[in-house]
Amino acid sequence: MTPLLSLSCRSLLNRRGTVGLTVFAIAVSVMLVLGVERLRHDAKSSFANTISGTDLIVGARSGTIQLLLYSVFRIGNATNNIAWKSYRDIAAQPEIAWTVPLSLGDSHHGFRVMGTTADYFRHYRYGRKQPLRFAAGVAFEDVFDAILGADAAKALGYELGDAIVVSHGLGQTGFARHEDKPFKVVGILAKTGTPVDRTVHVSLAGIEAIHIDWRSGSRVPGMTTDADTVRQMDLQPKAITAFLVGTKSRFAAFRLQRTINEYPREPLLAVLPGVALQELWDLMGTAEAALSAISMFVVAAGLLGMMTMLLSGLNERRREIAILRSVGARPAHVFGMLVLEAAFISLGGALVGLVMLYAGLLVAQPLIDVQYGLFLSIGLPTARDLTLLGVIFFAGVLVGAVPGYRAYRHSLADGMIVRT
Amino acid sequence: MTAHAIDLTDVRFRWRDDKPPVIDIPALTIARGEKVLIRGPSGGGKTTLLNLLGGVAAPERGNIRVLDTDIVPLRTAQRDRFRADNIGFIFQMFNLVPYLSLIENVLLPCRFSVSRRRAAAETASTLEQAAARLLSQMALDVTGLDRRPVTELSTGQQQRVAAARALIGSPPLIIADEPTSALDADTRHAFIDLLFREVEQAGATLLFVSHDADLAQHFERSIALADINRGTPT
Repeated sequence: MTPLLSLSCRSLLNRRGTVGLTVFAIAVSVMLVLGVERLRHDAKSSFANTISGTDLIVGARSGTIQLLLYSVFRIGNATNNIAWKSYRDIAAQPEIAWTVPLSLGDSHHGFRVMGTTADYFRHYRYGRKQPLRFAAGVAFEDVFDAILGADAAKALGYELGDAIVVSHGLGQTGFARHEDKPFKVVGILAKTGTPVDRTVHVSLAGIEAIHIDWRSGSRVPGMTTDADTVRQMDLQPKAITAFLVGTKSRFAAFRLQRTINEYPREPLLAVLPGVALQELWDLMGTAEAALSAISMFVVAAGLLGMMTMLLSGLNERRREIAILRSVGARPAHVFGMLVLEAAFISLGGALVGLVMLYAGLLVAQPLIDVQYGLFLSIGLPTARDLTLLGVIFFAGVLVGAVPGYRAYRHSLADGMIVRT
Repeated sequence: MTAHAIDLTDVRFRWRDDKPPVIDIPALTIARGEKVLIRGPSGGGKTTLLNLLGGVAAPERGNIRVLDTDIVPLRTAQRDRFRADNIGFIFQMFNLVPYLSLIENVLLPCRFSVSRRRAAAETASTLEQAAARLLSQMALDVTGLDRRPVTELSTGQQQRVAAARALIGSPPLIIADEPTSALDADTRHAFIDLLFREVEQAGATLLFVSHDADLAQHFERSIALADINRGTPT
């Protein structure tokens, strides 16, 4: 093959225009495949890191995924509540280290309002067990204090001390607003890249307080208890939507899960967050696989483009090949030369694609982080990346066998002299 | 070792089984060191004869001995190697590989033939110098021309580069297929003189094929292909 290496190189350089475009086309497809791979991987790990450090999520009995969606992702609604008494009863179990109650159902300009306790900011963990940090302000003390997630604060332009009015229910339009009892922004959380960023946190007592004059979802006419009066009242809620549980030991979580699922006084569901997240992710597996498949097809298209380029070049290269034959090249050499050219193009495409991927990541990383809260990693190529590159390279070499064989046939038919 | 460079006996070749043979040569011998012209019109089977001698085409029957090697029973790869080692070819035109430099074009056979690479290396301290020397012997100014793409050379210059390539590594047999037909009269004679000088110096055999009967004056022996070939021209 040695007499061919430099010949192939020189021949490619001679056609640097078309060859360059072909390399670029393959590079784009390589970048796409590796980019999708990375996005998949990072999205999955970011997704799996939405909640960590919590051993159980407990809600009214429904589906695992539904519970996960409304309690962690703030999507959809609970079908039922948990009675306060049940919550306290379970929270008193000896294996439990801490619990955080959650009360959902209201919203503020499209952002979910969640009632909870100051324990939430103490115990909630995301990513690699990172705690929530305050970008400004402190956790709530007063009934009508509110703490905003980073995105909610940014999107609505709120600063500390601003007053916000919570809407009843989840609609954007505020025909049922709790305008008589506004909340005051006392804290803004640092960005986490999780649904926490899009949440307005208020105290559990606050949720109870704004609903004090309400019965079954609407205001009771004539009842107007003002905020100061409310503060003096007993604001212990009668029900919550869900609660998070931290156990003293990992093994306790399984036992506790069974206990809760068999809780006699009301139908409850306890899920292990990791298991539920995996289940939810698997649900999206089809879309993920489709994305991968599409990017692989783009690679196939790139390689087919290379084959077309090499094939269409063969006709004008018949004379060149005949010259090589006359100076002693065997038909096998001719075949080898074309395959080598395909190998060089594929290799070039793979390397340029890799460079483009990193350039793209450097540019896109901050944008995607800000826009979607997804932090893309810019590490060395993973073993999987390298395997993919290898597969693409070998596919390119295989594809090169097609023009190689055609040239081989030509060289047998033409011999040393091309009749024109 | 006999005195024959080429010895054909009863060679027949046809393109397709249902067609009459294009080549049917009962006998043709060319002695070593001879310079022979084979004359014939286009389509008279000249190209086919050259492909047979080069081992690129295989005859239907008959013996082809080139430099005392019976090339018919050889496997294709062996024939290719034999050609690379022993025969230098010059063709009508477009003899050069456009993306290689002047020197690289001349050295092409050395990529495929170890024996020619060795022989060329013995004539100078580097292969490039061996090529440059041959080029200057073919009256080409290497230093002035080597930087330009070979496609910018005149046809006469290109043919002299092709001759230098055929001669590199001193193959015992040079086969020239209409090398002068694209040249004007003056360059044609100058080219043939240069070629003869180098072939003689190398002690090689020259088989020169052309439709141009005028060239016969240069050759000690001139054969009309029609006289030796009973095959039907296409």
